[in-house]
Amino acid sequence: MFKKVLIANRGEIALRINRACHELGVATVAIFSEADRQSLHVRHADEAFCVGPGPVMRSYLNIPNIISAALISGCDAIHPGYGFLAENARFAEIASDHGLTFIGPTPAVISAMGDKATAKRLMAEAGVPTTPGSDIVANVDEARTVSAAIGYPVLLKATAGGGGKGMRAVHAPEELATAFATAQAESEASFKDGRLYVEKLIVNPRHIEVQVLADEHGGVVHLGERDCSLQKPSHQKLIEEAPAPHLDDALRERLHTIATTATRAVGYTNAGTLEFLVTGGDLYFMEMNTRIQVEHPVTELIYGVDLVKEQIRIAAGEALGFTQDDLNTHGHAIEVRVNAEDPNNNFAPAAGTLTTVVFPGGPGVRVDTHVYGGATVPPFYDSMLAKIVAVGRTRESAIVRMERALAETRIEGVKTTVDFCADVLADPEFRAGGVGVAWLPAFLARRTAAV
Amino acid sequence: MTEDVIAARARALAGALTEAGFARLRVRDGDTEIELRRAPGAVSGAAPSPSSAPAAAAAEVADRPPERRVEVVASDVVGIVRLLRPAIGEGQELDGDRELAYVETLGIRNPVRSRGGGRVSTVFVSEGQPVEYGQPLFAIDR
Repeated sequence: MFKKVLIANRGEIALRINRACHELGVATVAIFSEADRQSLHVRHADEAFCVGPGPVMRSYLNIPNIISAALISGCDAIHPGYGFLAENARFAEIASDHGLTFIGPTPAVISAMGDKATAKRLMAEAGVPTTPGSDIVANVDEARTVSAAIGYPVLLKATAGGGGKGMRAVHAPEELATAFATAQAESEASFKDGRLYVEKLIVNPRHIEVQVLADEHGGVVHLGERDCSLQKPSHQKLIEEAPAPHLDDALRERLHTIATTATRAVGYTNAGTLEFLVTGGDLYFMEMNTRIQVEHPVTELIYGVDLVKEQIRIAAGEALGFTQDDLNTHGHAIEVRVNAEDPNNNFAPAAGTLTTVVFPGGPGVRVDTHVYGGATVPPFYDSMLAKIVAVGRTRESAIVRMERALAETRIEGVKTTVDFCADVLADPEFRAGGVGVAWLPAFLARRTAAV
Repeated sequence: MTEDVIAARARALAGALTEAGFARLRVRDGDTEIELRRAPGAVSGAAPSPSSAPAAAAAEVADRPPERRVEVVASDVVGIVRLLRPAIGEGQELDGDRELAYVETLGIRNPVRSRGGGRVSTVFVSEGQPVEYGQPLFAIDR
């Protein structure tokens, strides 16, 4: 096992990793920007290094300063969390060149899965169903030819993409030129890579993803699926649950089998997530995320497995301590993301000082957060303040528990998604379960019209 | 205030300055005043320039230049301090802009420069010491 781990992240995930390390008896080193000097993740760690000013390029993405902090403090591993450098193959490589274990898959796998077009090709070769589509298209004329062959509507996607950036739906040929230009510009600006590919647009699918764990000794297990269909119009997830409601048993088993087969086929190690679009009885591979996901707690609560600790154990060379047969689920879990955003204004992010912060507690409720009363929300980073997770014996009891938890939550000083999410939970269609990705934007439009 | 108290204050204030996006920040505590200014056009995140002056004097004769203007040179990387040979010591006079030390990051030597002349009043670090971003290295009386 490692002696000391550098946590190359901030916010709630930095605290989450800190907790896993301390439970494993591993010392921790936090990094922080000047804007995060007062953040909880700095206080909880055994040591902390300031690595730069507020803007991410000069702090949380500053590879030389981060690696230098790890070496100076005598770390033997780096946990990247999610976002920032988590899926940066070059960072993983540099860490390894300096004798530091990167807690995640190998740089080669990160880079293959990070390039969406390559990932899709590799998965198709492994027998995984993928959305009908193209390889990289060189220009708008090639995109036009390909789109006509696939049939409209189509989706233009950035091969370097993620988080909905560089993605445009095109419903008719005359929309293509404009959509191509904006998707390319957005992708170039966000990822410094403007390459696009074309995919058949699946109308209102469900977004269902499968959690896998793979050790370095050939052990591979899945930890079931999560339903992440409740997404903002920007395609960012807002509410997630596990297991996916109303999923046909045969389809569920097919998802799990495909996920573990694909994990083996690409030589994957550590924790990973395969995202699928599900419509009717069909499933299509979308992408594989080579990191811990924001929504991992819903899986942890129904499986009783600490995924972050497993990540660290696997990276330290340990074999999985369980087989697929040892894993069983209990109940249903649901997660609500509390973001400093205004749901009545396109979820515009808000920065400021949190004057009041009261989080819920009691049976079956877990809160992962880095904020506290009096804390400031810097303008430089992701707007997520907390994840509230509720578990119950049934989906209905988990929802009721979440409603109770949201009612206990008081956050003042910035606008948040708490009340909006409570309205979602109360909606009969959500309550019935199994809605597609188009549901939340439609709900938002209805709610806005009513207000 | 002692030099290390001033240094600690300056660091904390530099964080607040960056966070709030202020161009200038002045804090008075007892008989010491610390002023930080963001140098216009300077590389962003470069060391702020705290100056400490007896508050009473500054208040009474505002148009007279402060008796003492101290500028702190801070590290803009995370690394290990490498002093020059011979090392720059306290009391040393500097003719103009010159190298004071290096901070070594992943084998790369990042020069620390005085950005002007003066007298080195404090050396906050020693050879081989690990430093973080924004950590004071030298104080220079201008």
